[in-house]
Amino acid sequence: MKNIFLKFYALLIPIFLLWGCDNFVEVDLPSGQLTAPAVFEDVSTANAAMADVYAKLRESGALTGNGTGVSSLMGNYADELDYYGDSAAATQSFYNNALTATDGTVAGLWNNSYNEIYSANAIIEGVAASTGLQATDKNRLTGEALFVRALVHFYLVNLYSAIPYVSTTDYEQNRHVERLPVDVVYANIIADLEQAQTLLPEDASPERVRPNKTAAAALLARAYLYNGRWAEAANAASAVLNDANYAMENDIDAVFLNGSTSTIWQLKPSADGINTYEGSNFIFTAGPPPFVALTSELVSAFEPGDLRRTHWVGSITDGATTWYYANKYKEQMNTGTSVEYSIVLRVAEQYLIRAEARARQGELIGAKEDLNVIRNAAGLGDTPAVSQQELLDAVQRERRVELFTEHGHRFFDLKRNGALDAALSPVKPGWNTTDALLPLPEAELLLNPNLAPQNPGY
Amino acid sequence: MKNSSLIKGWRWQYLVLLICSQSFAICHTERDCFASSGKALGSSSFLLGMTKRSGVTTAEQQQTITGTITFENMPLAGVTVTVKDKQTTSITDNNGQFTITAASGDVLIFSFTGFKTVVLTVQGYEILKIAMQEDTTTLKEVTINAGYYKVKDKERTGSISKITSKDIENQPVTNALAAMQGRMAGVSITQTSGIPGGGFDIQIRGQNSLRADGNSPLFIIDGVPYASETTGYYLTTGPQATTTNPLNSINPNDIESIEVLKDADATAIYGSRGANGVVLITTKKGKAGKTTFTATAMNGTGRVTRFADLMNTQQYLAMRNEAFANDGITPGPADYDVNGTWDPNRYTDWQKELTGGTVDINDLKASVSGGSEKTQFLISGDFHKETTVFPGEWRYKKGGAHVNLNHTSDNGKFRAQFSGGYTAQDNLQPGNDLTAISKKLAPNAPALYDADGTLNWEDSTWENPLALLKGKAKGRTSDLVANAVLGYQLLPELTVKSSFGFTDLRHEESRTMPTTMYDPAYELGSEYSILLLTNTARRSWIAEPQAEWSKTWNKSKASVLAGATFQQQNGRQLVQEGDGFASNALIYNLSSAYLIDIITDSEQVYKYQAFFGRANYAYDERYIINLTGRRDGSSRFGPGKQFATFGAVGAAWVFSNEKFLKDRKTFLSFGKLRASYGTSGSDQIGDYQFMDTYSTTGNNYNGISGLQPTRLFNPDFGWESNTKFEVALETGFLKDRIFFTAGWYRNRSSNQLVGIPLPGTTGFSSIQANLDATVENRGIELTLRTVNFQTEHFNWTTSFNISASRNTLLSFPDLEGSTYQNQFVIGQPLNIRKVYHYTGVNAATGLYTFEDVNGDGSLSATDDKQTVLDLNPKYFGGLQNQISYKGVQLDFLFQFVKQVNYNAAYLSGIPGMMANQPTAVTDHWQQPGDVAEYQQYTTGVNGAAVDAASKYRESDAAITDASYIRLKNVSLSYNLPEKWLSGVKCRVFAEAQNLLTITHYKGADPEFRAPGFLPPLKVFTAGLQLTL
Repeated sequence: MKNIFLKFYALLIPIFLLWGCDNFVEVDLPSGQLTAPAVFEDVSTANAAMADVYAKLRESGALTGNGTGVSSLMGNYADELDYYGDSAAATQSFYNNALTATDGTVAGLWNNSYNEIYSANAIIEGVAASTGLQATDKNRLTGEALFVRALVHFYLVNLYSAIPYVSTTDYEQNRHVERLPVDVVYANIIADLEQAQTLLPEDASPERVRPNKTAAAALLARAYLYNGRWAEAANAASAVLNDANYAMENDIDAVFLNGSTSTIWQLKPSADGINTYEGSNFIFTAGPPPFVALTSELVSAFEPGDLRRTHWVGSITDGATTWYYANKYKEQMNTGTSVEYSIVLRVAEQYLIRAEARARQGELIGAKEDLNVIRNAAGLGDTPAVSQQELLDAVQRERRVELFTEHGHRFFDLKRNGALDAALSPVKPGWNTTDALLPLPEAELLLNPNLAPQNPGY
Repeated sequence: MKNSSLIKGWRWQYLVLLICSQSFAICHTERDCFASSGKALGSSSFLLGMTKRSGVTTAEQQQTITGTITFENMPLAGVTVTVKDKQTTSITDNNGQFTITAASGDVLIFSFTGFKTVVLTVQGYEILKIAMQEDTTTLKEVTINAGYYKVKDKERTGSISKITSKDIENQPVTNALAAMQGRMAGVSITQTSGIPGGGFDIQIRGQNSLRADGNSPLFIIDGVPYASETTGYYLTTGPQATTTNPLNSINPNDIESIEVLKDADATAIYGSRGANGVVLITTKKGKAGKTTFTATAMNGTGRVTRFADLMNTQQYLAMRNEAFANDGITPGPADYDVNGTWDPNRYTDWQKELTGGTVDINDLKASVSGGSEKTQFLISGDFHKETTVFPGEWRYKKGGAHVNLNHTSDNGKFRAQFSGGYTAQDNLQPGNDLTAISKKLAPNAPALYDADGTLNWEDSTWENPLALLKGKAKGRTSDLVANAVLGYQLLPELTVKSSFGFTDLRHEESRTMPTTMYDPAYELGSEYSILLLTNTARRSWIAEPQAEWSKTWNKSKASVLAGATFQQQNGRQLVQEGDGFASNALIYNLSSAYLIDIITDSEQVYKYQAFFGRANYAYDERYIINLTGRRDGSSRFGPGKQFATFGAVGAAWVFSNEKFLKDRKTFLSFGKLRASYGTSGSDQIGDYQFMDTYSTTGNNYNGISGLQPTRLFNPDFGWESNTKFEVALETGFLKDRIFFTAGWYRNRSSNQLVGIPLPGTTGFSSIQANLDATVENRGIELTLRTVNFQTEHFNWTTSFNISASRNTLLSFPDLEGSTYQNQFVIGQPLNIRKVYHYTGVNAATGLYTFEDVNGDGSLSATDDKQTVLDLNPKYFGGLQNQISYKGVQLDFLFQFVKQVNYNAAYLSGIPGMMANQPTAVTDHWQQPGDVAEYQQYTTGVNGAAVDAASKYRESDAAITDASYIRLKNVSLSYNLPEKWLSGVKCRVFAEAQNLLTITHYKGADPEFRAPGFLPPLKVFTAGLQLTL
């Protein structure tokens, strides 16, 4: 009997012991995760959080150079690119100007952009609450995050028109946000950029892969221009152009290399050896093109003798037909070490911004000077334009041949000048006036009725 | 005659034992038996031959009793002979003979499943001869595994459905869930893809959770919980519709029985993990007796069940040309199908070409089992190989071994049981499922091969679909599940035992995208090839000490069970990408890649702890009550919210044992009314969800590896709770030849754990939180089993089951203010789609029209998608027949489902674009005044037509009847007479799965969860089984 009871207790003891072990079910943080406050106590993890935001900009959302970014999509949407790929793929609907509110790529642009904005807001809030970071690091990180927040909202407002401006991570607020009028959005963008300008460092980061004061000024110039504030646009552009570190390249083939002096801010690829998504998407070596090719309208828009036509446009022919591709980025494949990074802000655009802003204010001589800088760099003579309207038209033509297939400049320029219908109706059979705006994703409207009404035409 | 207690002087006496279904009588002569035993049922009888040993023996002296047990004059092996209250047991050998030690006055019990138990008192006879009789009331005597305890079917208070290896071995399937389709009431199983190694979706009594991935039941193999979360990664899982499912590792050949626990009484003892039901899988165990060796070899073929009806070249080109004419444009340079680049007279049936292959199946199984009454063993192994319907050399191989050892000590107090199974799977599939492409390719698309046998790219005008097959998806899984149970009987009423389990799963899958997939004209070298590699490891251990006390006295039977569970599961997943290789031959070697990128490296630890108990009391086999309870803790919830308590009460009244009905046993042989009520919970939400963290992304920028916010943070979420109520009636008529059960259940779940959807402006798509909504599932389940014929040579049994359920969102406070306002409707099921109401093609404009519900003149999603369609099946079930005549046996099962689902219109693009369409689309609008099914064709530039077509897919025109009746399984087998092969048993069989599908569905196959993937296959096999 004793034996039995001993065995009995022996078996039960572990049970009773563990009864008290309520903390058996506690688990440690998994490897690969850090608590949020801890991330912002150390500058290297805080930098990692910011680095992830840049990586996101490079891989998804509006600024990516791959097929889901505005370089490709809005190029197809306007009159820069012809689409040759699979008719079932997303780009076909953009090419046809036949978007619907349920389109997945449209939703992707929206969701990825707001996710980037969330990450930026998380950094702003995390840095503000941090006790371990130095003031210089705090300022830099806050400036970078504000810059990114303004940048992403800029693309959103130009694609969708009135959008919510999100400046907090609080999901309770963010799920009820309303669409703000375009002017209010621009006011917020400009306020963020002005604040970023004070916080960002003066010096350029190595390889110019992170924004600095000059980058903020460059983006400000663009935002002022789009918002019709000419004087401020000209001033901001001047701030950039007066910085001796940034100058036009003499060699036109060097403009898009990663060491180019005309680059203000570019996005670094994920590993050495990788070049740009734009290069691998736009360049093809045999016809017919697998994905996209430049439209005949664009190719014939170059003036005779334009170096950009010979250096930035490539062609492939099979004897009967000739196709053209964007050759600004010349590397289609990986190279031993990277030679090209995707450029977001460059000096040439600043000259064109200032030319337009000056022309708008009546400073025609200054406008002509700036315009000629660009023309001369492309091997063309000075502009023959004389009057304000002629100058403005000349600037738009110059923007078209300078900034083609770069982040949707063509589409946005046509839109802000009210020239979409005139330019696109003749060449795009599916074009309707309401196509000036992308539809808000239907899923968003169903989840947040405050986002109503949907853009017209959808 | 002298009284039976006298031993001396007896010679051969024949006793006639008359066995009634529940009682017995002992007599010395036939005459006495008839007189004293009451009613005599049936004409078969027991013959008990006895002989007396010479000499005097006393009542207490132990003596050796021997005897022979037969059935239909053949020796019956494996019959258990027990001395009542003495724990002495013996088993009949191959010749039906047994030997046992007992004293005079002891009671001997002879039992064997499926036969009426014989009881007799030892009277000093040495040699006995007993003929046993089959028991038609088998069903009730069968022991059901309820997880922590076993219960006789007639005494159970919970709702448990069971299938056995007999049902499973008739089906040529590789996944255990496939074997369950159509056979169990309340269990709805849908095959998501026809590709071997593909997954199944299982729902027990409807959808409880708002989250699609929160509805999995708890899977337990021999007492060891088996995680059913996916082991794959979306980038590397091949052409299956869902990521790799580990349930494929469970080998159907090793399964003895599958019990599904459905109601509160059965599942409450599983507490927090039983809310969606529990699937208990019991593997085969060794049996005492002669060592038997069984081997089975099977070969077969399979193909796709149905193809969709698609256009031919003439219809297609006519459609395209008309579309261009409608849009007022001419075919452009990229419109190769109509601009003359492709031959307008070519025709290829792409569905046949790309998915019309035949699958080749080979299967081999062997097992050895045997043992004595104290120790038994079973060793089995199997191998299965099947190819696919896609062109090329693809295959799925699976092999495994299973071992079981049981041992009981000499005094019968100590029992040990060990089971272990190891399965290895090796899957080589194409990286892409060609099903969707086969339905879209233009019928006049170019030839697949050039004159010289290489892939034809037709001057770069199309993507040759066979090139996609150069990208391969490989999967290798090795899985070990082992379990040991040790038990000791401390006192006659008290047993303590503990079970220990261990699982170890390794899964590696890879997907390659070599540049040979692309048109060689683009001159892409192997520096663009990509390898994606996933390595998943998952290991768990579980220990469950338990103590059980049971006592029987007078008319009462009581048992109490108490136990604890400790479980830990560790998982790790590493996903890597390699870009650029010196040669495509090196593509599987990650170190040969120029660039190696780590996509994710994640680790999960899950810990679980519980205490549970059960108390059961039965009075006079008429009134039974069962109480279960469990207190659980899970590491998936935040501090302070980790523990919860669950419990249930179940009761049963066997009214057929009541005095007033006992006399009517000829008609109502069994009647039981049972009810149960209880709570259970669910923690299926993934690990670490309550933490506010940043995690590494693998995204690299400027040499820094990025960190991103993992999720929106909610520390407050806790357990879901689920209450279940059930009432059921089980009745048997005519000696249980007709067995009918009917059950009604009502389950309510509240405090649901969901990822509450959030708009993108919050930066994420959802947040984990408890939802204050109540969801109800209620339904009825009916089963009927009839033994139509049962004669010596001919048997015919029919089983029928049908389940109908209704899922309702009962309440959702502030639905209008939440993000679900446009997804759910109170009073409707969860799985609804809110769609436009389609009102036909406008005869004047030729466009689809829809109802403008709020009359504001425009169609918007929020205002006009008000038609509610329920995608849950209305009812489903199966009808099974088993017919046997002498040695021939025929089984067939019809499975039926009534449901609606997305039809072909949802999947095909816009008619007129460069993609093939179903033939039905030829009935389209062409000019004003036409009345047609489909709208005008467009090449995609007519904005109004594109918008109308897009709304059409979001309307009730895209969800139509997808009900079907399938001849799910047919099995015909013949047992060769043993005398032909001198004692070797040989069975030849032919089996088929999904043989016939009867449906109105417009499309290929109506069984799917996500459209566009390969449907389940039709399989025929034939084989041979030898038993030595």
